[in-house]
Amino acid sequence: MKNIKLILCALGFFVSLSAYSLEQLSDSSLSRVQGQAGLTVEQSQLINIGNLSYTDDGNSVNVEGLRFSSQTDPNATASRTYTFDVLEDGGLKIKTDIKPTQMHIDGIRINNSGASFGDLTLNYEAITDFTIRGMSTGGLEGNFTTGISNAELIWNTNGYAMSFDNIGYNASIDNFTLEYDVTDNTKGFLRTGLALGMDNFNFSFSTGALSLGGVSLGELAGNLALSANAQIFAGGRLGDEGLTFHSQVNILADPANEVRFTDEGNSLLMGDFSGALNLTNLTFDVESDHLAIGFDQMDGSFNAGRILIGDSLRPVGSIELDFLLNDDSVNNRYNRLQLYPGIRQPDFNAMPTEIKSYAQSFYAGLGPASEGLSMTTQWNLANAELSYIDDNRRVVISGIESYGSANTTIDVRDKKIAIGVSDLVGSYSIDGLRVGSKTAPIQGGAELLLSLEVFQAMDFDIDGFTEITAGGISGGGIRIDGDYFFNNANIGLSVDENGEGIWATGVNYDIHLRDITFDVESDGLKINRGEQWSTMDIANLRWGSKTSGRSLGRVKLERFEQNSSLAVIPGGAGQVCVGATGSTEAACGSAGGRWEDRGEQGMTVSLKAAFANAGLTTDGSATARNRLTWENNRNETSPGSGEYVNGTGTQIIFDNYSTNDGLGTTDSNDYGLQANLNIDVYETKVLKKSTDALGDLGDELIYDDASRTDFTYVTSPSPAQKELRPLGFAVQGNVSFKELNIGAVQLKHPNSVAQTVFYGVVMQNLDLTTNLTATPIQ
Amino acid sequence: MIKIIIIFATFIYLPLSVALEPLAEEEMQQVQGQGGVYLSGDITINDTGGPLNNTADTSNPAIWQKNCTTISTDVRCGARIAVNAGDGSNSGWLVLDNIRGRFSFEGLTLTTRTIDSGFDGDGATFNNDVLEIGLPNTVSYGDVSYTLANSSQARPTDAGFQQTDIFSVNINGDVSLRGNLLLFPTGNP
Repeated sequence: MKNIKLILCALGFFVSLSAYSLEQLSDSSLSRVQGQAGLTVEQSQLINIGNLSYTDDGNSVNVEGLRFSSQTDPNATASRTYTFDVLEDGGLKIKTDIKPTQMHIDGIRINNSGASFGDLTLNYEAITDFTIRGMSTGGLEGNFTTGISNAELIWNTNGYAMSFDNIGYNASIDNFTLEYDVTDNTKGFLRTGLALGMDNFNFSFSTGALSLGGVSLGELAGNLALSANAQIFAGGRLGDEGLTFHSQVNILADPANEVRFTDEGNSLLMGDFSGALNLTNLTFDVESDHLAIGFDQMDGSFNAGRILIGDSLRPVGSIELDFLLNDDSVNNRYNRLQLYPGIRQPDFNAMPTEIKSYAQSFYAGLGPASEGLSMTTQWNLANAELSYIDDNRRVVISGIESYGSANTTIDVRDKKIAIGVSDLVGSYSIDGLRVGSKTAPIQGGAELLLSLEVFQAMDFDIDGFTEITAGGISGGGIRIDGDYFFNNANIGLSVDENGEGIWATGVNYDIHLRDITFDVESDGLKINRGEQWSTMDIANLRWGSKTSGRSLGRVKLERFEQNSSLAVIPGGAGQVCVGATGSTEAACGSAGGRWEDRGEQGMTVSLKAAFANAGLTTDGSATARNRLTWENNRNETSPGSGEYVNGTGTQIIFDNYSTNDGLGTTDSNDYGLQANLNIDVYETKVLKKSTDALGDLGDELIYDDASRTDFTYVTSPSPAQKELRPLGFAVQGNVSFKELNIGAVQLKHPNSVAQTVFYGVVMQNLDLTTNLTATPIQ
Repeated sequence: MIKIIIIFATFIYLPLSVALEPLAEEEMQQVQGQGGVYLSGDITINDTGGPLNNTADTSNPAIWQKNCTTISTDVRCGARIAVNAGDGSNSGWLVLDNIRGRFSFEGLTLTTRTIDSGFDGDGATFNNDVLEIGLPNTVSYGDVSYTLANSSQARPTDAGFQQTDIFSVNINGDVSLRGNLLLFPTGNP
């Protein structure tokens, strides 16, 4: 009863903030009140709060112009009804029926900052059912259901809006508990806090459209069931005040769990997921000009049993992710997020010249008072293990580590979202692969990930500026324009767990993307690359260490493509005849081939690269071409430095290579260079390469059991033994072009005009098919 | 992308110092004990013609529109490479024409390793990393064919096109390849 009083007092306090209009009740209305148990409160409210502040160690977050009103008239009331019933077990049941209401915030500032996060509007209606009762051990328990419908969330910066339209949200908690009895001493003294428990928290959400300027990017929907515990304490990470949370979340194994993005009726879906998430010392503090959020550790797992890309009948496979993010004070790597109101522009003068003008153009028109969101981020991923499972065959990308920091700005502009990232500085690496199971020995072979343009390791320093517009090549979808620069990066192409291997070092990579569209279609994900030009300048291609390994010299790759495309299609190669031609197992075998049925799952990547002839880019901002340059015998910057001056050596140049439809460079370029890769995880035939005590030349490597740890060599494996062949990536690839033209092959000495070796190379009518299985070697 | 790795390896093969290294049996065993990639499979060129032979694609020039099956002998069903090593428009083209066929292999390995011993003492002196291409024991050729020719123009569709075939080759059978190719930078970068 004491708790019920507290709730009523809190409700009374909340009610006291409101502005009311007294409405006359009819006799019939009054009779209904008389005829029911409990208490019904019908309320018409118009709430205007000029400024609502939260103060932490003297710093304030100010919510300005908070208003609850009618959706149609900000000066009119909205109505809601509260029904209170006291239950037989002493619990209090509160039912709330909120008629269409608008919540609006003019702006959120920190210590009255010149800029705000922008204004927010939420239109909604809701029905909530809330039951609460006292616990014999102290505290409160109860259950909760809510349904929000016809909702719309609008974020507006500098006069431009982004909206989530037609939001629906339903949630229920079978049982929750709230107790004030949990203790914590992470700040060096004992403190008591609130313990919140939620058993079987089910929720679903949907948005009719995520819109920019009235054009939809697509629809987002999901279902999730979880149980969770959280502990909340007064006092943050900085100063005396603030908040600290610990939480333990268990995502329940429920086939209905899913997240779905839908574009024009076609969906990207990740479903049937489960997992866990544990957070330690999640803190919130208000500082002089920002909100400070951070955690000491976040670990967990995430399993998605069903992944669909467009085609609902052809799953791609499943993934499992285990991860650990934690603070590393020894190496000064932390997990922190700082949120600033407004747009904090980078120091343009400190930027590389290659990206400086693009950055200045990106932020042109914005000033100190411009609305938006700025973030400073740090992360430290201590370890992650990512499994991909295709027809029950597992490959684990093992030992993923990453750390770094970045500055980011986000604001809404005319029909677009603008995301600026500067000083994205950090590193990542992958130890290797495990095949068969999570506990199988770690192996080399992460080079295989190059097929997905994932490098094995990278040290990076990136500035990048992206504009996202609604609308793909058809209907909804996403369009991207962006400019990016990688400054002095090191890229591991084939690296062992000690960091030794083949490295591209001192890489300056300048990338420009225009009119890149993403659409989900009935048969897969389609990316149309309207125009892109880039220069990758590798100062040294090194063997061994990335700092002291021997260098092959400088490699510079310039690219210019128009109307290239990429499609990711569910399903792999299916049935394949390797080593011969045959459409059936019998025909393949009689022709001397090996028949492989790689199953229904897997993935197909279909690429079209339309290399353009040298010329101006569409926006006229640059002259671009396709050119490969290899330079060596350069002058050293200083004797023994191991660094060399570009342009002082001898170069071989493959200049102005391009594709066309068969009649030369003046012809159309619709076909381009096409590459289709069907990717599966499959058993691979691995033969012994010598005769010794372990077996004879040509014997097959067969694992002893499904753990794939120990193996023996077998001369003629049985069908059961063939199931225990090493697993690897099976790639059925096809590369074709009508014409690939190289304008000239040249040699160039320093301070001289390039001399032409070949005045042209014309390659035509190629269709090259490969059936390769690639297995990591232990 | 596995193909790209191979193409990349082929590309870097050209300018590098390459050592064809006979390996002892015990050294070859160690290939299994190292990181890297083991490749098996086949590579087929223009099994049923190329994209210019697609008769359903009406944008293709008439000279290329052929019905190319696996047993077709039409000279336009293969791939074609024309190189101008003269002085541009005043010279003819060296052509590798009608390229077709299948290569099958088991056990091509790609790995990086450090050489700091062996090679009659040279390994300790070398003490550096190499990219090792472990050759497959056997490469099978199936109807691999090409024609070497001279041509007046780069393309069969170009005005005034004339071509003189010098010889044609057709290969069937197995080639035994053993040992490793070691690739490493040398000289002044």
